[in-house]
Amino acid sequence: MKPLLPILGGIANVLLLLLVAPFFQGVLRTVTARIQSRKGPPIWQAYFDLLKLLGKEDIESGETPLMQRFAVYLSLATVLTLACLVPMGFPVPMNGVADAILLIYVLTLSGVCTLLAGFAAGSTYSLVGASREMLTMIALEPLFAVAVVIGAVHTGSFRLDTVLNGSVYAAGVPVSGILMLGVMLLSFQAFVQRAPFDISEAETEIMEGPLMEYSGPKLALLKYAQMAKLIIYSALFVALFAPWGSGLPFFLGWLVFWAKVCLLVLLVTLVAATHARFRIDQALRYFAGLLGVALFALVLAGYGY
Amino acid sequence: MIARDKLNLLKDKFGPAILRADLPDDGRLFVSVEPSAIRDICRYLFGDLDARYIISIGVDDRPFSGKFLVTHNFAFDAEKLLVCVMVHLPAENPKLDSITRDVPAANWAEREIRDMVGVEFEGHCYPKRLVLPDGWPDGVHPLRKDFAWNEVPKDFEEEREFEFDEPPAGCTVVPFGPFHPTLDEPAHFRLYVEGEMVRGCEYRGFMVHRGIEKLAESVLNYNDIPMMAERICGICGCVHSVAYVQAVENAAAIKPPPRAEYIRTIMLEIERLHSHLLWVGLACHIVGFDTLFMQSFRIREPVMWIAEKISGNRKTYGLCLIGGVRWDITAESRAELRAVLDKLEAEWRPLVAAVLKDRNIQKRTRGIGIADKTACKRSGLIGPVARAAGVDIDCRRDHPYAAYDRVRFDVITSDGGDVWSRVVVRAKEVFESIEIIRQCLDKMEPGPLQLGIEDELPVGRLGLSSVEAPRGESHHFVITGENNRPRRWRVRAPTYQNLQGVPAMIKDQQIADMTISLGSIDPCFSCTDRLETIDLKSGATKIWTEGELLKLVRTKKA
Repeated sequence: MKPLLPILGGIANVLLLLLVAPFFQGVLRTVTARIQSRKGPPIWQAYFDLLKLLGKEDIESGETPLMQRFAVYLSLATVLTLACLVPMGFPVPMNGVADAILLIYVLTLSGVCTLLAGFAAGSTYSLVGASREMLTMIALEPLFAVAVVIGAVHTGSFRLDTVLNGSVYAAGVPVSGILMLGVMLLSFQAFVQRAPFDISEAETEIMEGPLMEYSGPKLALLKYAQMAKLIIYSALFVALFAPWGSGLPFFLGWLVFWAKVCLLVLLVTLVAATHARFRIDQALRYFAGLLGVALFALVLAGYGY
Repeated sequence: MIARDKLNLLKDKFGPAILRADLPDDGRLFVSVEPSAIRDICRYLFGDLDARYIISIGVDDRPFSGKFLVTHNFAFDAEKLLVCVMVHLPAENPKLDSITRDVPAANWAEREIRDMVGVEFEGHCYPKRLVLPDGWPDGVHPLRKDFAWNEVPKDFEEEREFEFDEPPAGCTVVPFGPFHPTLDEPAHFRLYVEGEMVRGCEYRGFMVHRGIEKLAESVLNYNDIPMMAERICGICGCVHSVAYVQAVENAAAIKPPPRAEYIRTIMLEIERLHSHLLWVGLACHIVGFDTLFMQSFRIREPVMWIAEKISGNRKTYGLCLIGGVRWDITAESRAELRAVLDKLEAEWRPLVAAVLKDRNIQKRTRGIGIADKTACKRSGLIGPVARAAGVDIDCRRDHPYAAYDRVRFDVITSDGGDVWSRVVVRAKEVFESIEIIRQCLDKMEPGPLQLGIEDELPVGRLGLSSVEAPRGESHHFVITGENNRPRRWRVRAPTYQNLQGVPAMIKDQQIADMTISLGSIDPCFSCTDRLETIDLKSGATKIWTEGELLKLVRTKKA
């Protein structure tokens, strides 16, 4: 393999992600509006919003502006790095370079960025938001890791292209894979930080929490990272749990992949629009239950189911 | 008879301390008592006779009687009686025993009298400044008659800051307000927080004083005031205008024509409809359920349109005059109103069914923000908050006014005392309101809208009126006066009492539940902050330029 190819593929994925993320945000908002009997913004509104925020004055009102700047750049950079490790219609670009362990680490890092942003801002509400984010992370991050590890156990490899190709079902009787599919479906809202698990931002309680002290371009980058996260997690979900059709010829396979992502985004929208926000303690109890099931699935996977 | 019975009870028990009494009709009792006996009498009324505390009012009566007047108002809801216990205090150094040890609900009212009129309450449990702005000099009392409505005290200290209490050990302070996206109005709760748990709070409100009561007794006249009263609140304005007009009518013994009473009833219920629909929407928004928020507002919108069709305005109907109303509900509007009600009922039923079945919402509201019967009695809580705790009170039935004695309706109660019960009570009250409006439309007969009032209104009479606002009892007190305006007009909005119950509701629960607990009383800070000081910040000596302000907020240094 030529060394240039992974790099070009990575860049292609990053550009694609940057391009489509606001579009899916627009889809999400339009569909939400329809569910709420509203007309909603134009589907391109998310692009305009980002442009508008990028052009606005940058007010550094937090406690440690330097850290804040770092947190913001890091959070977008992390998500863009993820774009190189996740198949998005094509095979994983950085396949030979990275493995599933790195993927898990970078996923965790993207959560840490929100923490960092909150703690760096240092206002009361940011801190409350950050502490909620931390609690959520502790309960949530193992779930994805378990899913990836189950895939690795079944296939005996940590290679990205092997794991991210429906590997969870690779066992003869894919009990653990189906269990994990359920767990991930039930916790997916939390990974993409939508209702009922938008707890760490909760506008009506703690005024956007960690995002509170960010404005203008910094807010734009954080929002961009958030939109991109929705796509990344959807792509990961599709790759891990719904890989069917990825073997199709180039363009057809690509279309099928994005259709699945779109379906997932619609599901997220529907759930978000029909649920009230959980309180942090309720959410943690809920995650704890899921974590129990996930660990059970891991044990099953160890025995080859 | 009831009024006479109560008076006899008081006379038997306190004998010579009861100086004078006035029983203008069976729903009102005004008793003048010896200042030294005030505490015992109030304890007897509140404790032994189980009266509900409404409000205390301070009046500077020196130009007329040479004395200060303080009255404590109580209600006997089951017996349809409102009682004023009045004391006259000397012009020099007025002092009175505080009743807060026996009647905790009087906490704010007595502090307000101390701020505004300058009567000292001895033995008050928490005698801290309540209403006046932070820099206001001590010893200057804006509601005294020798203080002009447009006066600015010379030694106002712009820089003086409010002294907050020390938080308890081990707690951090989370500021909730002065501006918060769910409040939409300025109010400041300093929450004492341990982890995510709220251990206590201090409230500082009264930030948007508009001098309404002072204006009423010094600038406006009787028929200007309903327009001003309506602007006390952006949600329950009509309630205040009706309550004021009824208080004056009560004082002057005027009875408006029946058609006017029906029109008032209809508009009050239209107001309740839109307020309840708005509240259910906001409650859903607070717990993060925006779909129901939007649907609720969609269903509400035709109510606003029909209000505009009838009155010319979505809100602020400009309805009341002393002795009647200003406009009629035409036959065309009546037909449209019926259609709107039918549609509303058809749409509201499935929405309520959806809310009542939703386990997600119940998870966030059951057992949250609890105020039980004891708390309601202690803090004088009213309206849906009290009814949700099983306290069966509703001014529409208990102290009937307008045409409420001619319509049938149920008073909805629940027994949880939590936020969920308040949701249920409000959601169901919508159906009762729809029924009331329908009955009014059926029973309304052609007739005059206003009473011709030939003479000047009598001077020095007292009038009381309690109107059931969407959020609870709105109580107005009027003393009629010279120059075609009242001597004193006191507005007690429902939030004034309900807000005093909030600290107990939010104690020992999570910060996440703070907003919905506070939201569940449907707080109306503009109603509570109606008071009579002049906004000095805007017109005072130091004027901030935009640049300075920006610098201040960005660098946290002036």
